Amino acid sequence: MKVAGEYLLAAAPDRAYDLLQDPEVLARCMPGCDHLARTGPDEYEMRMKMVISSIQGLFAGKVSIADQDRPAGFRLVVEGNGKVGFMRGDGLLTLVPQPGGTEVRYEGEVRVGGMIAGVGQRLLDTTAKMIIKRFFSKLAAQVDGASSSGAGA
Amino acid sequence: MIPQEFEYSAPTSLEEALHLISDGSAKVLAGGLSLIPLMKLRLAAPGHVVDLGRVPGLSYIREEGGKLHIGAMTTHYQIESSALVHSRCPLLAETAAHIGDVQVRNAGTIGGSVAHADPAADYPAALLALDAQVRLVTASGERTLPIQDFLVDTLTTALEPGELVAEVIVDVDVDGATGFCYQKMAHAASGFAIVGAAVRVRRSNGRVSFSRVGITGLAPKAFRATGVESLLQTPDDVASAAGAVADGIEANSDLAASAEYRCQMARVYTARALRQALARIA
Repeated sequence: MKVAGEYLLAAAPDRAYDLLQDPEVLARCMPGCDHLARTGPDEYEMRMKMVISSIQGLFAGKVSIADQDRPAGFRLVVEGNGKVGFMRGDGLLTLVPQPGGTEVRYEGEVRVGGMIAGVGQRLLDTTAKMIIKRFFSKLAAQVDGASSSGAGA
Repeated sequence: MIPQEFEYSAPTSLEEALHLISDGSAKVLAGGLSLIPLMKLRLAAPGHVVDLGRVPGLSYIREEGGKLHIGAMTTHYQIESSALVHSRCPLLAETAAHIGDVQVRNAGTIGGSVAHADPAADYPAALLALDAQVRLVTASGERTLPIQDFLVDTLTTALEPGELVAEVIVDVDVDGATGFCYQKMAHAASGFAIVGAAVRVRRSNGRVSFSRVGITGLAPKAFRATGVESLLQTPDDVASAAGAVADGIEANSDLAASAEYRCQMARVYTARALRQALARIA
């Protein structure tokens, strides 16, 4: 499944680049993330509890960053495994300076397998979009400094 | 598969049910058509399930103050077969008749359906076209939300922990002057809408004086196609108005239908619904 889109962040490209690679910020913005720790250069291990309506899945996995080209962009790879299935996302993030800040463009491929994909195929696309939207809206809140608690859905 | 162990409560009054869900940790069971399969697959594993099946007074259809009030536990079949719904709100009866199959419609409820907020469910399209409201209750109070504010995103509603859908309230079309239609392209296996268009229209002096278009299946949540409504000035505008239904929409994509195909089918089914609704005006 391909995903693509763009979001405008009210921060200069250098700052946006830092935010997108700051484990504390990522941990706060990734929906359901309850653990994110650095395991090596540009590698992190992660635990996520996804709750969407009555569906919930616990995923353990890793996040890695490659092809660093500050501040123009980088590649982000997220892998997760859980009882209900597995997911692997591989995406290129491109940071484009804009008058109001930075436009973050993302383009990538998400693979979901196991039971969650078998029974939930119909909902994968909308769910992936919703998770990405939540991530960026939380990130935007971090940039604005409007929310520092990381609480909320 | 067998669900994970869970605590089960079957309250016999609304007060008891609201008390049981008040801390927000329990999952409410209505018709069980969405929750039970998820539990059997262990995609959902609630620790506590509160079954509304024995709570009296949640299944009714009545007309009050120019609106139709439908209790949350009213089944799709009751709505489909109700003489009152047929005469006062035929769009809702027609939409209910499109849901799943007759066994599904005898078990599934309108409250369960809207609370689950499946992006391909049939009711949301009709409820948007009917300017519906959803009344929510808690142990300490209640509030009423327009359907577009209640539906937040895919499988996500404005329901707060401890809150329960009590009833759905829809506009009444009394005089037969309102044309209506629900057109759906159903997924062959599941029956869910690949796209579905629910419309209401009125005419006056050869012009379209009122229109409501609700679309399901196309986007992450059902939405009112206000662009189509404003383009539909006369009955001759059907094709061009329906052509705008997917404008600005990030369409869903899955194995059954790509985003481009869904957009095209949305245009086709919206045009069909509008034509039939206009032809039905008395």
